[in-house]
Amino acid sequence: MTVTEEAVRWAARADRASKIYGSGDTEVHALREVSVGFEAGRFTAIMGPSGSGKSTLMHCMAGLDRLTSGSAFIGGTDLGTLNDKQLTKMRREQVGFIFQSFNLVPTLNVRENVTLPSDLGDGKIDMGWVDEVIQTVGLGDRISHRPNELSGGQQQRVAVARALATRPEIVFGDEPTGNLDSKTSAEILEFMRRAVKDLGQTIVMVTHDPVTASYSDRVLFLADGQIVKQMDDPTPDSVLDTIKSLGD
Amino acid sequence: MLKLVVRGIRANLGRLVLTLISVVLGVAFVSGSFVLADSLRSIFDQISEDAFAGVDAQVRAVEPELNSSGENLVRFDESIIDEISALPEVDYAEGGIFAFEQTYSLLDDGEVNRPLGPPVFTSSWGGPSPVSSFTVVEGVAPIGQQVALDSAQANAGGFAVGDQVTMSLPTGEPEQFELSAIIDFGDGGTGGAYFNLFDLDTTQRILDSGDVVDSVVVNGGGTDTDVLLAAIEPLLPADVEVVSGETVIGESQEDFGSVIGIFGNILLSFAFVVLFVSIFIIYNTFAILVGQRTKQLGLLRSIGASGGQIRFMVLIEALIIGIFASIVGLFGGIGVAWLLKLLFSAGGNSFPDGPLEIRLRTVIVVVAVGLFVTLISAIIPAFRASRVSPLEAVRDGGRKERSVSFRLVAGAVVLIPGLVLLALGMFGDVDGTAARLAAIGIGAALTFIGVSMMSALFAGRAAGMIGGPVEATRGINGRLARDNASRNPQRTAATATALMIGLALITGVAVLASSLLATFDDLLEDALTADLFVYEANQGLDFSSGVVEQLDALPSTDSVAGFARVEMLVDGDVEAVTGFDTATGTSVINAGILDGTAELSQNGIAVFDETADERGWGLGTTVPVEFEDGFVTDLTVEAIYDDRSIVENSFIVDRRLSRQHVQIDAVGFVGITIADGVDAEVARAEVETITDNFAQLTVQDNTEFQEGVEGQIGQIQIVINGLLVLCLVVAFFGIINTMALSVLERTREIGLLRAVGMTRNQLKSTIRWEAVIVSIFGALLGILMGLLLGWAAVVAIPDSFISKVGIPWLSLVIYLIVGGIIGVIAAYFPAQRASKLNVLDAISHS
Ligand SMILES: Nc1ncnc2c1ncn2[C@@H]1O[C@H](COP(=O)(O)OP(=O)(O)OP(=O)(O)O)[C@@H](O)[C@H]1O
Ligand SMILES: [Mg+2]
Repeated sequence: MTVTEEAVRWAARADRASKIYGSGDTEVHALREVSVGFEAGRFTAIMGPSGSGKSTLMHCMAGLDRLTSGSAFIGGTDLGTLNDKQLTKMRREQVGFIFQSFNLVPTLNVRENVTLPSDLGDGKIDMGWVDEVIQTVGLGDRISHRPNELSGGQQQRVAVARALATRPEIVFGDEPTGNLDSKTSAEILEFMRRAVKDLGQTIVMVTHDPVTASYSDRVLFLADGQIVKQMDDPTPDSVLDTIKSLGD
Repeated sequence: MLKLVVRGIRANLGRLVLTLISVVLGVAFVSGSFVLADSLRSIFDQISEDAFAGVDAQVRAVEPELNSSGENLVRFDESIIDEISALPEVDYAEGGIFAFEQTYSLLDDGEVNRPLGPPVFTSSWGGPSPVSSFTVVEGVAPIGQQVALDSAQANAGGFAVGDQVTMSLPTGEPEQFELSAIIDFGDGGTGGAYFNLFDLDTTQRILDSGDVVDSVVVNGGGTDTDVLLAAIEPLLPADVEVVSGETVIGESQEDFGSVIGIFGNILLSFAFVVLFVSIFIIYNTFAILVGQRTKQLGLLRSIGASGGQIRFMVLIEALIIGIFASIVGLFGGIGVAWLLKLLFSAGGNSFPDGPLEIRLRTVIVVVAVGLFVTLISAIIPAFRASRVSPLEAVRDGGRKERSVSFRLVAGAVVLIPGLVLLALGMFGDVDGTAARLAAIGIGAALTFIGVSMMSALFAGRAAGMIGGPVEATRGINGRLARDNASRNPQRTAATATALMIGLALITGVAVLASSLLATFDDLLEDALTADLFVYEANQGLDFSSGVVEQLDALPSTDSVAGFARVEMLVDGDVEAVTGFDTATGTSVINAGILDGTAELSQNGIAVFDETADERGWGLGTTVPVEFEDGFVTDLTVEAIYDDRSIVENSFIVDRRLSRQHVQIDAVGFVGITIADGVDAEVARAEVETITDNFAQLTVQDNTEFQEGVEGQIGQIQIVINGLLVLCLVVAFFGIINTMALSVLERTREIGLLRAVGMTRNQLKSTIRWEAVIVSIFGALLGILMGLLLGWAAVVAIPDSFISKVGIPWLSLVIYLIVGGIIGVIAAYFPAQRASKLNVLDAISHS
């Protein structure tokens, strides 16, 4: 690493984060004292075998779930110190989240879905930015369509647009392209990369696909609740190699 | 198969319990109506048996063809008592005389001591004896200037045995009586009525009846009843009969029974209305449950279940719910009976105590009704379920909506006959008010169903419109609420239906009430020109006609006219005729004289124009009449009139004639005009110097009279609304149910909203406003339907009773607000539940 500690701004960070589900015999350690930081303005991919704790890490860092011990920060705020209402406000203003599917409210049209987080708050939003985001994801002509009038790929684009619309501190995506064909995935990933490169957004996404991971600046590998490897400037081949090496 | 059903019920237990409540409420109301009526019947049967326990025979007048004194029995000479007593077959005989609302005990401040509602009886009493209906609590039988009062009355007045009690008498001059005894009728179950007992001579003096009695009760001391009756029979004058004690008890039980029967039937009809409402709720729940299980049902179909099996499954589910609800409702009926007792006691009619009983008939009817209601509600959803195709197991959210044209046609098929029946009831050539109202009732039920079916066509748009202001003021929460309320029009329509019916009935009643008042206003304006009225306000009973003369003698009164109801044979038919002081009456009322003179001669009769037309009579026609005393004469038609709103009857004769030929010379109503130049207050004070002596009389001017009527109508409305409120309760549970099911259905969406930043409070607000929009939709429909029904009823009811439509604007606004509030409260639990959902669990909910 060439960057010194002081120069880095963390958009989000976890400090000895642990998450235990259940208790006694059924206890599952989904995260084991994970310490990780997501640099502002970078695109990070998280990989790892099924059950390794990827989703858990995302949920806890996005303020959708709480850690059992340790702390998670968005910007400078310790999520553990927030009550439900403050956490909700944090999600609304500082975090964007893209789920694998079912990201949209069926009764709202494209534009309304995109502005939903801001509408839930004070409604103050840069409409120019919103339009730009919608144009960029290629849905300019679908602005008043309802989700059920859109394809799966289009729906995911709306979700991406929504996640970016409030200019959040960080955007999390849990397999955001997991349900899409490779061409559609590529379009969306390309857009996400541009959002990071050109617009300075911070994005973290979970994926199982080495090609998808190769769009990111850095890949974290998770296994059994711990970060086992990091890798900068990934290519599909290097990612595949790393996965193979970890599997051994 | 059954295993699947049980699993299904278990999985949906929460939702089914809410459905159950709707059925249970209706069923419990039915059960409660039976339980209350049966219990009252048993209690009153017992009271009748106790009251006449020692009576082996009763001598009384044969019910005459004509009896102008209404509730009073025909009286006969008292000499018969001695003759009967002298018979060897007779052990004890007592003659008595009895009257309604004639004497009252007065409180220290001179106010009348009387129950609100139930009557006050005046009766002679010979003291404890085998034939006495009264039991002594304390003291001895009254003699001379003594009185015995029932314990409730003595308590209310603070009287103790030995006290001097001032009694208001029909003579107009109150007197002091010593309280010799406190008594109770039978075992005290008098339904709140008061009893004033004097010895026979005193009673005759007070009632100014002469030496007559209206019954002689006889104890045979063991003599065979037939022998006893045969011995008494030859002593009796014409028109007097003797009957056995058993007959007396039977008649008394029948009298009570018919009143209780009417009462029970009224309750039952309300119960059926509630059941009708709950059908929509149950239907809606099953429809939603089937809709939500479409995938599962599709899966069952794809692994080989037949449509019939699926249908059977849903119906069995309904059957199990129906059985359960019926049993719970059956016993819930005891609670309802108890609540109903409370409701009516609040209205002043106290019920005697006694055990509440569930008869076998109640069990059978209640279970049958509960099952029927549940199964009928489940039939359509069951058929819909059986048509789910195996493909729908894989299709996502493959809900098939009925086509618009299908709904339009189906709705119209029900709605049109409904409207036709309504119209028939209103304008058709249907005989009798009962038939008209029946047509309106069935028409209304069909109209409700039709409107409910068709309302799905516009529920979405309507909810969107109602939601407009909500969105405008509540931002995104309002927006989502509005969208959710309009996204499933069928469900919104079905949910709103229950509220619609409840509020339609309440609105209909309100329209009737305000129309009645409007009619009354008109009537006071046009027909009643008197300045003051005197009448007995509590029971509307007759009072001594001497009041008329006394009032007439006052310097401050100008015209004083009394009205008496007289039964006569007019041209061979028994008719109610108004005996009226026509000489002074023209300034007191306006009967709308079309022809002739309002001032009748003693040989004249006035005839209502329609009646005159029917019979082909005109001025100068000679009409043969017979009075109740047997007097026969010919009267000449001297006037034709067209307004019977005050006169009430189709014939008028002059009271100078009628009073000579009735058993009791009484009037029911006196109208007074104040002499020129006399101050209204002064005149009134003078009138009250007379009426104060008759404790039962009320003096009122136009405004007070109107307010009194308003109060009475208001009270009836409260009782009716008290019963109809149960419809709203059912509707309320229906809204909870639908909201809970909708929230469940939208779990993922809720999770998503929470994930992108919706707070718990925002979520609750969204759900609350959704419920409010649905309720307001139901309330608006209900109010519109209520206006229609109220108007229909006003048209169907004869003009002599209600002739004008009045719209209770303020009430309508209140009902709308009530509708909204019902929505807010109903949304509470679903909203609470939704807000407690874990975001991640919700999002991963399938
Ligand atoms: N709500 C829960 N209750 C109990 N255990 C859970 C819960 N959520 C996750 N787990 C467990 O925690 C561990 C990590 O789960 P997580 O969903 O984070 O894995 P993942 O890496 O996202 O896997 P995948 O690639 O399959 O999505 C797993 O063993 C899982 O079974
Ligand atoms: Mg995962």
